[in-house]
Amino acid sequence: MSPPPSPALRWRPLAPFLLAVGAALLIAAVVTRNPVPLFLGLPLLLAPVAAGVAGPRSAPPVRVDLRVEGSGGEVRLEGRVATERGLDARDLLVEVARPPSLREAADTQFDRSPTALRFRTDWTAPEPTIAEVDVPTVLWRDPMGLVEREAVSNAVPLVVTRYPPELLRIGAVHLERTTPLPGETHSRRVGESGEFHGIRLARPDDPPRQINWRATARAGRPLANEYDLDKTGDILILIDARPTSLGRVLDERLFAIVRAAALGLADSFLSIKARVGLGVFGEFLDVVPLSTGRTHRIRIETALRRAHLSSVSAPAERCAVAARRSFPTGLTTVVFSSLANDPADDVSPYLRRRGFPVVVLSPSPLPILPVTSLLSAKDEELAARITRLVRRNRVARAWQEAPTIDWDNYWSLGQFVDFVRRPRIRRAG
Amino acid sequence: MTPSPPPRRELPSVRPVSLALLLVSAGFLGYLSGFPGGFGILLALTGVAVALVLRMSPSREVAAYAPVPVLAVLALEAATAPVGFGTELLAGLAGLSFLAWLADDPARPAGGALRALPTLSLPALALGIAWSSALFLPPGAVPLGVAGGLLALTLIAVALLVGSPTVFDREEARS
Repeated sequence: MSPPPSPALRWRPLAPFLLAVGAALLIAAVVTRNPVPLFLGLPLLLAPVAAGVAGPRSAPPVRVDLRVEGSGGEVRLEGRVATERGLDARDLLVEVARPPSLREAADTQFDRSPTALRFRTDWTAPEPTIAEVDVPTVLWRDPMGLVEREAVSNAVPLVVTRYPPELLRIGAVHLERTTPLPGETHSRRVGESGEFHGIRLARPDDPPRQINWRATARAGRPLANEYDLDKTGDILILIDARPTSLGRVLDERLFAIVRAAALGLADSFLSIKARVGLGVFGEFLDVVPLSTGRTHRIRIETALRRAHLSSVSAPAERCAVAARRSFPTGLTTVVFSSLANDPADDVSPYLRRRGFPVVVLSPSPLPILPVTSLLSAKDEELAARITRLVRRNRVARAWQEAPTIDWDNYWSLGQFVDFVRRPRIRRAG
Repeated sequence: MTPSPPPRRELPSVRPVSLALLLVSAGFLGYLSGFPGGFGILLALTGVAVALVLRMSPSREVAAYAPVPVLAVLALEAATAPVGFGTELLAGLAGLSFLAWLADDPARPAGGALRALPTLSLPALALGIAWSSALFLPPGAVPLGVAGGLLALTLIAVALLVGSPTVFDREEARS
């Protein structure tokens, strides 16, 4: 496979301007038979060519180190660009592209030295988000600003995730296990961190700590302890990605918030070794099967980053049928839905009927509804009250089918965490 | 709690060395140009002052137009300057000072003129050759015609280079 083509030299607007002025001076010298304009025009004609020759003759390689700092709504991108082949870092320009879901808090600050360029840019996340930060574009530009060339680096984009901090204390939630024989589940932790279950024949890959040496000595054959882990369980995170009556813009915004919260939820349960599954229901149900571990976290993050809002609204029953095919019944299911559509379109009743205990976490569209300037302040207040009542009524109707949490403060999921930490989530009907 | 005042934007440095060089060469060219009563010097001062104001503007779009008044003034002075022993050399030096001033952009890290020396050396060398040729070649229409032809060829070559920037690319050796 051939390498990608190297970015070519680019002329800046000043270069053709100098060439045009130089040419005009040359013509003036010939017409007036006066060599003085010619002598002035000579450096102007040659400077762009000299800049192209004196600079790097191919795309200069640079090493870009990036990291994201900050907590909560603060996002701080820090980077360092180191040059190679004796290129002066003071001639480098860095263009940082801000992800659309983040806002600029301050201008980018640069600290230059001959060998490296450091930069720092501050953004804020107004809402929970998963944002991909592209590798900044690094340009070499000659000191006169006549030519420039894009540098190449092998850095990879970073992912910024910001979600409500309460999700980090979700650890004590009781989740149902959905394996066919729960008592025979193997511990997912190495060693004696789980409850003792029994003794079995040792396998070649058993660590020495797991061998029961006394039992081995008594039986005369290698035996190992087997453990269960009561704490772990299984959870399905299901996102309703169908279009609603709110419109594309609000739907996209709520969907971005939901994706971030879903990743936070998955993070929290994966950190306690629970198995987590993911489903995104648009026209069809896209699933990430139940599993656990760091690799699974990356799998879920990738699936959430790629997830998009569907343009077609599919029947809710399709979601339940597909979920039944992909996941075992009895699986605790958290459904993310804005509940902006008709109650008949809710997926929770269908999921319940197929044996999934459901909790609905509904991001409220009220905080992000645009304020219309046509109404007076009094009418605006009245309209807001009516909207709140309609929303409350909608949530109440959803409660008839499944516990529903109205999520109107996007940076707090305390209400949800308190609910799911109760001893037992309402079972399927 | 009182709101903190917004931070003051720092004025960029004027980079005085290259500015002085440009001012002196443009002023001297203005002095030698055909304008009567010191108008040439005044023209040079005005051009440089306007360029300085444009360059110090906080807007990058406005600052990008800073070279225009200086070049206009230099071109006007060169076009009206009579042929003299050192006038050609001074015009060339004014062109070089203009390039050095360009490299000292206050919006970019300091030391631009020094870093631009490899780029400046090529026009400076060409200027030296041209000036010595003009000094030592016999006067007449034929040498001027030859010089004009050569410069026309140079222009065509430059136009070709501008049209295909990949000419400057060099393939990296692969180990």
